[in-house]
Amino acid sequence: MRDPDVAQTVSVSNPLAGERARRFETGLSRAGLGLVPRLGRRASDALLARLLRLLADRHPRAFEALRGMPDARVLIEPVDAPVALLMRVGPELSLHALPRGADGVGEAGAADAVVRGPYARLLDLLEGRIDGDALFFRRELSISGDTALILALRNTLDGEEEMDLVADVASIAGPLARVLPVLRRNAGPVLDRIEAARRLLPPPLRRGIERVEARIIGTLPGSGA
Amino acid sequence: MDNFELICPAGTPAALRAAVDAGADAVYLGFRDETNARNFPGLNFTRQDVADAVDYAHARRVEVYVAINTYPQAGNLGPWQKAVDDAARLRVDAVIMADPGLLAYAAKRHPDLRLHLSVQASAANVEAIRLYRDTFGVRRVVLPRVLTVPEIAKLNAEIDIETEVFVFGGLCPMAEGRCSLSSYATGLSPNKQGVCSPANHVRYEQRGGALASTLGGFTINVFGEGEQAGYPTLCKGRFVAGAGAGGAPAYLFEEPTSLNAMDLLPELKAAGVRALKIEGRQRGKAYIAAVVRAYREALESFAAGRPVPHIDLQAMVEGGTQTTGAYTRAWR
Ligand code: SF4
Repeated sequence: MRDPDVAQTVSVSNPLAGERARRFETGLSRAGLGLVPRLGRRASDALLARLLRLLADRHPRAFEALRGMPDARVLIEPVDAPVALLMRVGPELSLHALPRGADGVGEAGAADAVVRGPYARLLDLLEGRIDGDALFFRRELSISGDTALILALRNTLDGEEEMDLVADVASIAGPLARVLPVLRRNAGPVLDRIEAARRLLPPPLRRGIERVEARIIGTLPGSGA
Repeated sequence: MDNFELICPAGTPAALRAAVDAGADAVYLGFRDETNARNFPGLNFTRQDVADAVDYAHARRVEVYVAINTYPQAGNLGPWQKAVDDAARLRVDAVIMADPGLLAYAAKRHPDLRLHLSVQASAANVEAIRLYRDTFGVRRVVLPRVLTVPEIAKLNAEIDIETEVFVFGGLCPMAEGRCSLSSYATGLSPNKQGVCSPANHVRYEQRGGALASTLGGFTINVFGEGEQAGYPTLCKGRFVAGAGAGGAPAYLFEEPTSLNAMDLLPELKAAGVRALKIEGRQRGKAYIAAVVRAYREALESFAAGRPVPHIDLQAMVEGGTQTTGAYTRAWR
C-alpha cells in the first residue's frame, strides 16, 4: 500500500522546516483534521484506518507495543480544533475522529483517559519534539482518567524515532505529498511574503482570508486528512 | 586533570540515540521490569533493545550501563539474577546495583563485569563505601543526593574508588533506598517494585481552574490556576500539618524543584568527582537531547578553561524552579 514515490518525498528532514513553516503545517493539518468528520463516519474511519496502517508500517516497534497494551480508549482533545481523536489501544487498535461538542460526547464519555492541550503542542508531543512532562509542569497539557494508560501511550510513541505525522498524513493525501517538501524547502521566503501581506490587512479581512485558506486546504484533492 | 564523564538517562531506544548523539559519555538504562527503579508503563528496554543500544553506543565510543537497582524480593531472586546474567552477556560496560546479595552474585558469576553502586544503596560514608569495594570489587559509587560539596570532597580524599554525583533533574530528597512514603500510600515502593508514585495509583482532577493530584486516594497537591505543576510524589506534596489544623497547606518535606548543579562544576571538580549524572529515564527524548547537549557544551567550556555558559533549561524542570540541592545547603 506504500507508494514508493511518496516514501521518497516524505523523507525530508524536519530541521529544514523553519519554525514558521512548522506553524503553517500545523495550521494546515489542523484544518485538515477538522474536515475529517465531514466525510461521514464510514469514510472518515476508513481514512484513519489507512493512516494507522501507514504509521504501523513505518513504526512497527511502537505499533506492536500499542497492540500489546490492554484494550483501552484515550481521547486526544485539541482544545483549539473542532475535532477530537479517540484512540483505541490494544488488539483492536483504531482511531476515530469525533466532532468536539454535542456529537462526540457519548463516545468520548467511553474514554478511559483524556489528554487535552493546544493542537500544536499535542502534535509536537505525538512526534516526540517536546517533552510531555515539561508540558505538564507548565500546565499546557492536562490529563485525566487512567494516568498509567497515558504514560504507556506517551512512552511508546516517544520511543519512536523521527515521527513526522504531518508528512505521514500528507503521504496518504496524494498531491499534498509532493507539495510538502517543496513547501518546506521554500517555507522561509514564501511565508515571509504571506505574513507581510497579511499584516497589512485590517483584522476582519485577515480573518476572512484565513477562512479562505482553510477552505483551499480542504479542497486540495485528497487532502482531507 | 581528567575530564568529567557525562552519564545520561534513557528510557527508550530513541532516547538512547538522542543521548549518544547529544554528547553522552555513557548512557544508563533498565530492563522492562521491576529490576530497576524506573519501572513505568511503556518505558525501558527489552533484551534485544539493549543489544541494539550497545551496538549503537559502542560504535560511537559511548558506554552503556544497566541499572538493576531495586531490591530482590525474598523467595524471588530469579528476575534480578537473570538481569545480571543478561547484562553481562549483552556486553554492557557496567551494572548499577544496590542490593548486597545481588552484588555478591554478580561479583562471583561475572568477575569481569564492572560494578557501580547505585544511589539506591545510599552509601554516604567512608566505611560503607570501603565495605562495598573490598567485598564486591565495586569500582564506582553514585552518591546519594544528601551530601554537601565539602562532604563529597572529604569523602573522596579518603576513598580510592570513583564517585558519580547527580547534577540535573528531579530530586529524591530522602536518603535513597530508604523512603517508604510511596509504599505507605499505594503498597508499591521504589525500592522493591521500582516505582515511586506508581502511575496506576495517580489521578489528576481539574477542580475549577486548579489541578489536583492524588495518589492512592490521598490528595497530595493542588496547583492553583497558572501555577507550575510537579510530579505526584509524596515528598513534594502540600499538606496541612497537625490534626485539625486550620493552616494553609504547605510543602512539608521538599518543594517541587529540580536540581541543576551546572554552576558548581569547579567545586565538584575540586572535590574529586569523576562522573556527573543526569536524572530522567522517565522523560521524553526531547528533554534528553536538550539537557545532554547543554551539559556537553558546559563541560567543553569548563575543560577548555572558559567560563561555563549560562544555558537556560528552565523550560524542562519540575515546578519551574531550580536548585543546587544539598550540595550548597546550609541546614542539615
Ligand atoms: S517520595 Fe520522594 S523521597 Fe520518597 S522515593 Fe519518591 S521521590 Fe524519593
